[in-house]
Amino acid sequence: MLEIKDLKSRVAGNDILNGLSLSVNAGEVHAIMGPNGSGKSTLAQVIAGHADYEVTGGTVTFKGQDLLELEPEERAREGIFLGFQYPVEIPGVNNAYLLKAALNARRAHQGLDEIDAFEFLKAAREKMAALGMDPKFLNRGVNEGFSGGEKKRNEILQMAMLEPELAILDETDSGLDIDALKAVARGVSALRSPERAIVLITHYQRLLDYIEPDYVHVLSSGRIIRSGDKTLALELEEKGYDWLREAATA
Amino acid sequence: MSNLSPDKIREIVDRLPTTRDEDWKYTDLARARDISTRWIDAGAQPAAVSLEDQAGEITGSIDAAWIVIANGSLLGIPEGLDAARHDAAPAGDNALAELNAALLIDGVRIHVDGQLERPIGLLFIDSADDASVSQGYVEIECAPSSACDIVEYHATSGSGDHYANTMLKLHVGDNASVNHVRIQGRALTHVQTGRTAVAIGRDARFVSASFDLGGALIRNDLVIDIASPGAEVSFDGLYLAGDGQHIDNHTRVDHKAGPATSRQEYRGILNGQCRCVWNGKAIVHQGADGTDADQANHNLLLSAKAEIDAKPELEIYTDDVKCSHGTTVGQLDENAMFYLRSRGLDRRHATQVLTHAFATGLVSRVPVEAAREAINTLMEARLVELVDKELEQ
Repeated sequence: MLEIKDLKSRVAGNDILNGLSLSVNAGEVHAIMGPNGSGKSTLAQVIAGHADYEVTGGTVTFKGQDLLELEPEERAREGIFLGFQYPVEIPGVNNAYLLKAALNARRAHQGLDEIDAFEFLKAAREKMAALGMDPKFLNRGVNEGFSGGEKKRNEILQMAMLEPELAILDETDSGLDIDALKAVARGVSALRSPERAIVLITHYQRLLDYIEPDYVHVLSSGRIIRSGDKTLALELEEKGYDWLREAATA
Repeated sequence: MSNLSPDKIREIVDRLPTTRDEDWKYTDLARARDISTRWIDAGAQPAAVSLEDQAGEITGSIDAAWIVIANGSLLGIPEGLDAARHDAAPAGDNALAELNAALLIDGVRIHVDGQLERPIGLLFIDSADDASVSQGYVEIECAPSSACDIVEYHATSGSGDHYANTMLKLHVGDNASVNHVRIQGRALTHVQTGRTAVAIGRDARFVSASFDLGGALIRNDLVIDIASPGAEVSFDGLYLAGDGQHIDNHTRVDHKAGPATSRQEYRGILNGQCRCVWNGKAIVHQGADGTDADQANHNLLLSAKAEIDAKPELEIYTDDVKCSHGTTVGQLDENAMFYLRSRGLDRRHATQVLTHAFATGLVSRVPVEAAREAINTLMEARLVELVDKELEQ
């Protein structure tokens, strides 16, 4: 589904990704771990198409097409969803409006009619209940005045409504209390299916207690230096990242 | 209309303010003088176009007791309104007031007593094929403890150049409450100078919202006089300007007695080669203790060629006051833009969503409910035009 080969990216004149390769197939859950500054968020932003992240080398294909050629909105309509590490507050834009506009943009791309207003509300309410969100949040400004945990739940709500084929969650677990973490994990697990792939970018092993990954990758200095199964995450939790970095440079 | 000779009218037009006047530094009335001169040369007659149908489209969009002034002439007074034609505008102390007094065809005087159920509608609609000039003058006297809503609408029909000069004089009696909205949707061939003077009584309340959605050159003066304690004044303004437009809002609040509050918030969305001006003056006079005055002006510039001159002015001559002001000028938030696009909205849609979000707070606060939907529709239509223009550039 997603094929990244030797990807290099630069932000504000600094090389962040230095030849990253990763292959993600439908039905898989990958966890990307690594210390601060290793390039985890850059990878997420490059896949979503943020203009500040310049691609200086390598290729990214999604479902066989050149992803780097597509505008951010085209990537979203093709089925890529990025759960932001820092979701943006947009006062004056109704949360329900954005959800519906996003959903309809994807549906139009798939050749489907706009969603029926009643069905939309029903689906949104169900998914909010599952995430432990007050339905009142639908009528608030997007992330406006939301707590950190509320913003992350709102990202998961968007993901649940959009049903992406590839979900990339950028440190969705950071800053969450245990209840919010469980709610987010439930939301992600509910999306798990043979047609979908999920990439969890995380700093800690904690989230992986609730969502079991098929693969764990360690990112350091803009490259994947080790890949393994879930036991790698436990090993990292125990030993930290330094032993891997030493091994990589040795 | 007085029987002034063309030369006499020309003489007044020559005395209209120029950019050498401090209050007119950013707004050049050359275009108003040019239209006036062409009109005088052609005989200085009011445009003879029937506008009843065009007026009907507008008056049908907002439920109100409409008084229509078309090309300066009164088309009638609706039943149930205590109003009368009135032809003697006070001469005033400046050339704009003089011009108004000299060329006025039909002024209107309205008296409000008790609680009016329907809003008072004032439609100024002008049309001409050739250059023309019109005056509007309305006086509204709101009795003590009365309450009313006022919808003021300025519109164009036809494609000729026009210069409209209007004056609204409003007296809000003691303990009275007035909600006022002003919608200016003139064509890009129209110039307007408008002055709204409001005198606020003891414990009275005045809430206003002004929407400038069109016009080539627009200058609004809103002058509010608080001479008795207990007044509560709040007014908003939104201006949307595109290529070739110039919109200038000058406000002045005189706090002569306290306690009293005044707050204002103006917002602008500018695109293409245009210029807007916001000058908000609050003067807290000696003895006006307990004054609370707040001013805000926020601007969104969608083009590098758009220009805003924003100037808050506070003059405080007493100690016990609370005054604040804030002015911002910025572009669309790129982080918000990317967030929306990452959810599948294209740049055009995202720009519309973000500009709408910037303006929508003022629409939701429109104090006359009967006008809110119409204002929202007009604003959205104008925003779509502005945004589409942005994407061409």
